[in-house]
Amino acid sequence: MTTAGQSILTNRRVLRNVLLIGAACVLLAMLAPLVADQRPYRLLQSSITGVLVGGVYALIALGIVIINKASGVFNFAQGWMMLLGGLLFYTFFSASASISPLAALLLPALTAIMVTTTNSWRSLRQPRTLAIAVGITAVGFALLMLAGDDLRLVRAVVGAVFGAVLTGLAIERFAIRPLIGQPLFAMVLMTLAISELLHGVLQMIWGSVEIPLTVFAGLGTAGIPMPIRIQANESLGGTIIVRTELLVAFLLALLAFAAFVAFFRYTSVGLAMRATAENQKLAQSVGLRVRTILAVAWAIAAILAATAGVLQGGATSLSLNLPLLALSAFPAVLLGGLDSISGALIGGLVIGLVQEWANLLFPGTQAGTELAPYVVLMVVLIIRPDGLFGQKRIERI
Amino acid sequence: MSANIRPSGVFDTSYAQDIALNRTRTDKLLSLGGFLVLLSIPLLTSEGPLGLGIIPNLWVGTLNRIAIFIIAVIGLNVLTGFTGLISLGHAAFMAVGAYTGAILGRELGLTFWLALPLAALITGTIGLLFGLPSLRVKGFYLAMATLAAQFIIPWVLRYPLEPLTNGSRPLEVPVPTLFGLSFASDSAMYYVIIPLAVVLALAARNILRTRVGRALISVRDNDIAAAQMGINVFSYKLQAFFIAALYAGIAGCLSAYNTNSVTLDGYLLDTSITMLAMLVIGGAGFPLGPMFGVTLVLMLQQIIIPTLISPLNDLLPRLLPFINPVNIYAALSPLLFGLILAVFLVFNPRGLAHRWEIIKIAWKLRPFSH
Amino acid sequence: MKKLILGLAGLALVALTLPAAAQDAMELPDFIEHTPCEVDLTGETITIYHFGDISGPFAFITQPLLAGLEDSIEYYNAHGGICGATIAAENRDTGGDAGQSQAAYDYFSGLDPKPDAIILYASADAELLREQLAEDEIPVMISAGSIPGLYGEDGNTPGWIYATNPLYVDQFGAFCRFAGANPNMYPDPVVGYISWPGAFGEAAFTPEAIAYCASQGVTVLETPEYFPPTATDITTNVQNLVDAGANILYTNSLASGPFLVAKTISDLGLEDSVQLAGVNWALDTSVGLLSRTALGSDGLPVVNGLVASLPFHWWTERELPGVALINEQAAANERTLTTQNISYLLGWGVVDSYVELYAQAVNEAGSLDAVDGALMQSIIQNLDYSPLGLYDFNFEGGALRALPDNRMAMMMFANSDMTGVATSGEDALTVPLPDGTSAFIPVLVPLTDFEDAPDLRPGGADVPAS
Repeated sequence: MTTAGQSILTNRRVLRNVLLIGAACVLLAMLAPLVADQRPYRLLQSSITGVLVGGVYALIALGIVIINKASGVFNFAQGWMMLLGGLLFYTFFSASASISPLAALLLPALTAIMVTTTNSWRSLRQPRTLAIAVGITAVGFALLMLAGDDLRLVRAVVGAVFGAVLTGLAIERFAIRPLIGQPLFAMVLMTLAISELLHGVLQMIWGSVEIPLTVFAGLGTAGIPMPIRIQANESLGGTIIVRTELLVAFLLALLAFAAFVAFFRYTSVGLAMRATAENQKLAQSVGLRVRTILAVAWAIAAILAATAGVLQGGATSLSLNLPLLALSAFPAVLLGGLDSISGALIGGLVIGLVQEWANLLFPGTQAGTELAPYVVLMVVLIIRPDGLFGQKRIERI
Repeated sequence: MSANIRPSGVFDTSYAQDIALNRTRTDKLLSLGGFLVLLSIPLLTSEGPLGLGIIPNLWVGTLNRIAIFIIAVIGLNVLTGFTGLISLGHAAFMAVGAYTGAILGRELGLTFWLALPLAALITGTIGLLFGLPSLRVKGFYLAMATLAAQFIIPWVLRYPLEPLTNGSRPLEVPVPTLFGLSFASDSAMYYVIIPLAVVLALAARNILRTRVGRALISVRDNDIAAAQMGINVFSYKLQAFFIAALYAGIAGCLSAYNTNSVTLDGYLLDTSITMLAMLVIGGAGFPLGPMFGVTLVLMLQQIIIPTLISPLNDLLPRLLPFINPVNIYAALSPLLFGLILAVFLVFNPRGLAHRWEIIKIAWKLRPFSH
Repeated sequence: MKKLILGLAGLALVALTLPAAAQDAMELPDFIEHTPCEVDLTGETITIYHFGDISGPFAFITQPLLAGLEDSIEYYNAHGGICGATIAAENRDTGGDAGQSQAAYDYFSGLDPKPDAIILYASADAELLREQLAEDEIPVMISAGSIPGLYGEDGNTPGWIYATNPLYVDQFGAFCRFAGANPNMYPDPVVGYISWPGAFGEAAFTPEAIAYCASQGVTVLETPEYFPPTATDITTNVQNLVDAGANILYTNSLASGPFLVAKTISDLGLEDSVQLAGVNWALDTSVGLLSRTALGSDGLPVVNGLVASLPFHWWTERELPGVALINEQAAANERTLTTQNISYLLGWGVVDSYVELYAQAVNEAGSLDAVDGALMQSIIQNLDYSPLGLYDFNFEGGALRALPDNRMAMMMFANSDMTGVATSGEDALTVPLPDGTSAFIPVLVPLTDFEDAPDLRPGGADVPAS
């Protein structure tokens, strides 16, 4: 090899960086005229909409990432869990006359049983555990039945949380736990089977739904403008609209993100979860209750899914199409790194932004929803193969 | 596995016999017999030359569809089962094969017999392209690249290439002909699809026996160790992508010429995920895996569940009076599918082919258990 | 024929007064005039075959169709069936998946005896099965309207599929004709096409339609916008079109599609400058009900004022005896408001058409077994009949594959004493629903009479010569 060749090889990194910068310049040069054509208020509007829509994606991505962080399984059923949470919320948000006492009793009861028997079914034999289970059931039943129509938000939240926890725990115990130790493929495909099962269960209980969710109506009556209009006709050329529903979704996503970063970093349960994700056997040998941890992870993911479902239902409507939204969130998950909380948030926001900008700059070809997120994905792959914030895998033979 | 356990009295006297797929005479007879039975199915339907009604006409079309999916899933098996690279974009490669075959036939006037291999090669090349990230990316992140393929390819087919592909509208595909014989009917295409499927399955099985196959398996088991032993991991990963896309291209092209029309609807993400499910249920990494997986899933979806729905629809509303019967009817299809899939995965997490191997070994070793 | 019916009715009346002896079957009301049967089919069963999306995204459309089929089959069976034969229905669920549709078709076409006709409703299924239906000689009646399914890729090869509503592209043309003819409603019509992607959503946006609209004085923007059904927010898409000059947004979608567009228009504060239009499915009850929680500045749901094609008579036109009958039967079967939509009506129309088709087919063939797909096709093509007065089943001897009769209608909401339409939220009729929201009752107000929609297939009669 000649010295020139050698120096090129040794400077491969420099060469690669130069190529990347060059490509970025070319891309900017192509996009600049398109951007310049737009009125400034459109750019700002698209950015705001993108960030807000990204909030919903971030919530979905967060749920998938948490399950992945704890058990390494990529959850394909997140979309149907979203719809389930949304429908449960809707059921308990309706007029109190239409809530059947049986449902209000069964839901907390089943949840209580699942929660207390996470480690083993025999724990119900202990009087203390039994007392806790009965206590949870009683509190749940009281909240669901006694809260009047003016407290329907509370009632709906309680119902949705109970339902989500029940779903998460049930999926983990009956579908994922039997497959521990089996190839990862099998577990991932089990989530697929679960999504079909959830589809069937939802269809049986609620039928083919196409329902608007009025969860944000309270905001309107509280005096918050829906949507928030920012008049900027002189400075930017038009009015900026901020949809209040999406703003709430975004703020909730930020809240969830902050809560989970703190959770995983500062609490012992979070630390235990990270340890379990690294190496289940080792975690077990240190005395961590792996089964409880996995169950908690699935319950948290289910609650996040329910939140995303409720927010999407409030922003548009609850329908059998809703689970497809989770598919749009997959690039967000992978963009941010499969096991990074902050990555899920950033990934969601980036995907939302990219979608809206692409819709703005390339109208008419669906480039925003179908093409742009995946092109961005490919680009990130080339630059950072583990996602933007993913942990660099250290592999040992 | 079971290949190593021979019935007593069978000894290999030559290397050829040792590496043969059918080692004993029974194996040979069974394989050949099975193949002949398969080939004779269209002749026994009521549309066959003898007009016998032994086999329902439905079977020919169903077997065609099953065979096409088997070809595609065999390709996926090479990629995911042998090499361990998860692919979420297999259906997109089928779409490439289907549209390329259709366009070659329509625009360039090539016959089906030329369009098929060309479409396969072009699809293989595109598969190579989407395999390039495997240089730097591993594991589920590589699924990213294939997921990107799953969305980018249909987008490209729908919008920029719209003049050629009719976008979202269906594309009519000319009927294949050979020396004046038209292959429009199901039975005629059967005689193209089934032998091709058998040949391709044998080819994939053969890959396992060669150096390429062994390299792929070593890449799956531990690619760092493989690299240490001198295997060019990147090159073999690319080869795996090429072969998988080749198979998918063939399957897509056959599908296009079988139904004489191509639309993008059947080549979206849910088809990719279904094919992955078929592979895992059948047994990833086993040569017979795709056969079992595809047959089970397709028969479940298209024959078993619709047959189960009517009696269940009569029974369940009585058992569950508090549920609206319309909802029960609508829910049965996905419910049964999910339930049966879940049960299979719990009891056979390594796939039906694995279970089949165990059965074969148990048979050969009877009455001993090991 | 009238005398015969009256005579039969008279006989039936006499028979009813006699102690309950032989027949329980009642006679059909007078306004239903079927060809009298020359062959008695008592003891036979005639099956209506149908497959569609019963568990997937379009389930809320298919399920009312099933309800309509069920109720009407029960009614007709109690009123003599088809020449005495019992009507039955056989359905299959495809879940919206192409492979399942193919499998369902294989199952039905493999039945012995082969079906004489099949009912479908999805454009995608029509496009998939077009060739195979021609090969197997089974005619299909469908309530969709995309050109490739009905007329093939070149738009001029009619197949075996017959649509009981106008082509979607023809409906778009009809809207342009209406807009061009009503400058007081649309002073300077510029249409932006915003819809779902896919066969159904993109069906109306063709060069022929754009050229025809231009000839009617309506500009159609070159670049359409497509948004997926799961879109959370379509502000950018709508703004793209409005910035390009659109003051009418035309959508070829249903349920949440028109609702989302209307809601975005309202959110952007463009209610006064942008109007909404759509395909016949945009007037479906589900759109009106879905919009009950999104109210515009006048207190009425945001879809108030949506103009679209209404190729058949609607639930509120009770002065028509057929519509009155359907209303009465729906109430008797306790069908909810969500079920009282387009598909339910079409279900009744289908079954009534079947009675007439089979009566004629059996008269011509002599027996039920001799009826086959080819015979059924020739009868469909030559039929001139109005099922329950809902629409005009006339394919002009086979020249057409989609019924051309169309009229424009506007979606409004009933006022509190049910005498007309509400002008604002205050005087609108609201019905409290169990889920805590209040539904406004959608009322479809016809804006024109029935006339043929323009023929905008490639090379069609109304395509302007370029």
